[in-house]
Amino acid sequence: MRRMLALVLAGAVVAGGGTAATDAGAKPQKNKPAAEPQVQLPPGTVEKLRSGDDPTIKAALDDVRTAGKGAASVAPTIVDLLDRGVGAELTVAAIDTLGDLESPASSRVLAWYAVHRSPAVRQAAVKALARTKGPEAVAALRHALSDDDAMVRGIAATGLGSLKAKDAVRDLFTALDHKVGEAAASIGQLCSPAECEELTGKLGKLPFDVVTGGLDQVLFRPPAELDDDEKVKVIGRVRELGTEEANKFLRDVQKRWPPGWSSRVKQAIDQGVMATNGVSQ
Amino acid sequence: MIGRRFGVGAAVSLAFAVLGCGGGQTSINLFTTDWTDDNGASIDALRQKLARAQAKVAPGADVVVAVGGNADKLIGQPLAGGAKWTYAHPLSSRPVVAGGVVVAAGGGELFALDALSGKRLWVRPSGSLKVFGAGDDGNVTVITLSGATGSGSTLLAIARDGSVVRQIETDRILGTPAVLGGYAFVPWNSVYVSALDLAGGDEAARVVLREKTSRAWSSGGQIYFGEIGIFRFDEHIKDGPKNLASHISLPVRELPGSPKLMEPGTEVLGPAAEAPDRIRIFARPTPGGDTPLGIDDDRFYATYFRIAMGFEAKKGALKWVHTHGSDLIGGAAGPGSVVLCDDQGHVTSLDGGTGGVIADLDLGEAIKGCVVQVDSWKAAGAPAPVPPLAEQLSEALLNREAQLATAKRLLLRELANQKDDVATKTLVALASNDRTSPLILGEARQALADRRNGAQYMLDALAHHYDYLKDVLSPPPVGPMATALAAMNDSRAAPLLASHLLDTADTDDDVKRTAEALVRLATPAEAPALTQFFGMYRASAPSEDVEAAVVSVAQALVKVGGVNAQARVEAAMHDAQTLPNVRERLQAVVIVAPAEAADAGGDAVDAAAPKKK
Repeated sequence: MRRMLALVLAGAVVAGGGTAATDAGAKPQKNKPAAEPQVQLPPGTVEKLRSGDDPTIKAALDDVRTAGKGAASVAPTIVDLLDRGVGAELTVAAIDTLGDLESPASSRVLAWYAVHRSPAVRQAAVKALARTKGPEAVAALRHALSDDDAMVRGIAATGLGSLKAKDAVRDLFTALDHKVGEAAASIGQLCSPAECEELTGKLGKLPFDVVTGGLDQVLFRPPAELDDDEKVKVIGRVRELGTEEANKFLRDVQKRWPPGWSSRVKQAIDQGVMATNGVSQ
Repeated sequence: MIGRRFGVGAAVSLAFAVLGCGGGQTSINLFTTDWTDDNGASIDALRQKLARAQAKVAPGADVVVAVGGNADKLIGQPLAGGAKWTYAHPLSSRPVVAGGVVVAAGGGELFALDALSGKRLWVRPSGSLKVFGAGDDGNVTVITLSGATGSGSTLLAIARDGSVVRQIETDRILGTPAVLGGYAFVPWNSVYVSALDLAGGDEAARVVLREKTSRAWSSGGQIYFGEIGIFRFDEHIKDGPKNLASHISLPVRELPGSPKLMEPGTEVLGPAAEAPDRIRIFARPTPGGDTPLGIDDDRFYATYFRIAMGFEAKKGALKWVHTHGSDLIGGAAGPGSVVLCDDQGHVTSLDGGTGGVIADLDLGEAIKGCVVQVDSWKAAGAPAPVPPLAEQLSEALLNREAQLATAKRLLLRELANQKDDVATKTLVALASNDRTSPLILGEARQALADRRNGAQYMLDALAHHYDYLKDVLSPPPVGPMATALAAMNDSRAAPLLASHLLDTADTDDDVKRTAEALVRLATPAEAPALTQFFGMYRASAPSEDVEAAVVSVAQALVKVGGVNAQARVEAAMHDAQTLPNVRERLQAVVIVAPAEAADAGGDAVDAAAPKKK
């Protein structure tokens, strides 16, 4: 099946932006803006999705997943599938597929499944929501930070960073204080200068790896988002720790520092590495 | 004189040698079953003789005697407020208060103190003998002790000056004696009470009682016998063999730890209180001999560690519950009150009627054991006000002391019978708390489901959900509250229940019961949540409970969701992807539904229609 799909894809018509993916056996969708090039799905994909037969639906979902974002026109059909409800295995497959399609219109039904009783379904839904985006996705992910399943909480925290949900930073701090380590990286992606300092203040209070997971994000944010002063402050706080793990972290940042980025920050990194060289735990 | 006459025995026992001479010694074989029942004649003759002689029961001291230090100190506190006294002496057994005397043993000595002042009255060598019990008539103290040879018993009658009036050794186990007019009343063999003439050493009378009896004691001017129940030594005592003596017992009812009215008077209690001392019943016979025998104040009391309870004496109805600050290790019922001592050395008088605290005495130190005697003392002052019984029960039930779990089961059942709204509040709290003992959690949930008042407390609780970030790690008892609120037909619950339908932290059973409640309570406003639930689980319900919930949700949906909801359910009924159990039961829903939808008043809206974007 996958081989056949590959052949189909190889011959797919790339029609440029502004049109949706088409099911070769179905009428093309109109008025659907799509950033991705149109992808020709195998004939009858939509019918297969509506077939009510589990293996057929699964095969169709596989086809859609392989097509990726370019097959977004079938998202409403999959939404409908989940809206009516399918078996547990197909539920996860359909959710994963909607995640791959990245259609914001899918967020409503994915938000439903973010409160499914099965942790596996919730994990899949939360992961997909981070890709489908939109206010419903943000609201669902914020809610999922309080889930009783640790994996769901972690995925939600990461997802909020991906969605650039700045309004969720306070929730993410609360989650970080509740051992949701993934929240640190998201805070690092979203924090205002004051919030970045708050994150830096967690050094010594929370595990080093967790906090630096967020500080790493802070340091590599584009200069337009966060100025050098904040980054230098972060480096200074890490340097003050004077530990071997601080040295290791700074060396790692030093290695990855993009050419052409702030020389002032680079200098602070270099000095930090030197100051923490040779220390032992 | 009845049966055999016993004189000074030829055999001199070890105990005799230890205790020393000074009075009449009576040999073994005094307490024999080789005896012909005289049908109460001898005991009645003795009673009349004592009446003619106007023999009076000596008033008992109203006092608390505690074991302090390392079981090497007695602390006495007169209840009327006299000076506290202490007496340092090793103790091998619990002190006994008899009349106005405290008797104790330890360090190879038997000694007696004046109960109100602590002044030593006498001391005698006793070897390793331990005290069973003692009685006193104001002149002579009669003590039963463990046998000198390791079995049997020794009975000693000792005058105030320390002289031994009578010493009897027997292979029988003697119970706790009482003394009146020079006669010792000694229970033995569970059914006999022998009256010994202390002057002559004879067994002057004997009565057979048809209930286990190992104690004799004086109270309120009367002599009593008993253990399981209470017999009074009055004009009906002659009818003891016919089981017609004046008798009273407590109503049979469940009590935590199953305490007995009295521990056997044939047991030696260690100086320090143990678990049985924390699980007790206290009751006092009606004073005086002219009225029918009853339980004074129509109250008996029970303790269970730090909980004290007052019960109506005829039927055993719970009247009050007092939750104390520390374990209650001793006490006694007095006129109008029960006096209890705790392991922190406080002596608290609780009003018999309400359980309100009347008085509190501080012995000044933590104590190991405690004995209370109340004869005529009545606590002065008005009792502190107490909240309604439901609140008293709540306080006890919400106490976090793990060892109270057994008592809580009983208290929970009592609470369930209370009509007060606060009972609902407590049940919600108990059923919500993850620290509630599993022993009572199930009963608390059931009691909550059976409530028909206190709805506001349930609604308040339903507003809470599991929330990891807010440290709310236990969901409320949604299922029982759903059942109760549906039974109360409280439609305010509908939106709250709908939100719990979609709460993953609620149990499957809670979800099932929530869905059942929504069949009755749901309005069109709940249709979206119902639709979501139905869609998510009709083909993937993870358990039978959730399957049942899907069917209930379908029923609610058809009722309030309009034509699209009906179509959705019908479609699911014909869809092979719908779980077989669900599909089968949906048929009944769909068949019944149109009539129900009409009953709903025709205001059902198409709220269940999927919102497509």
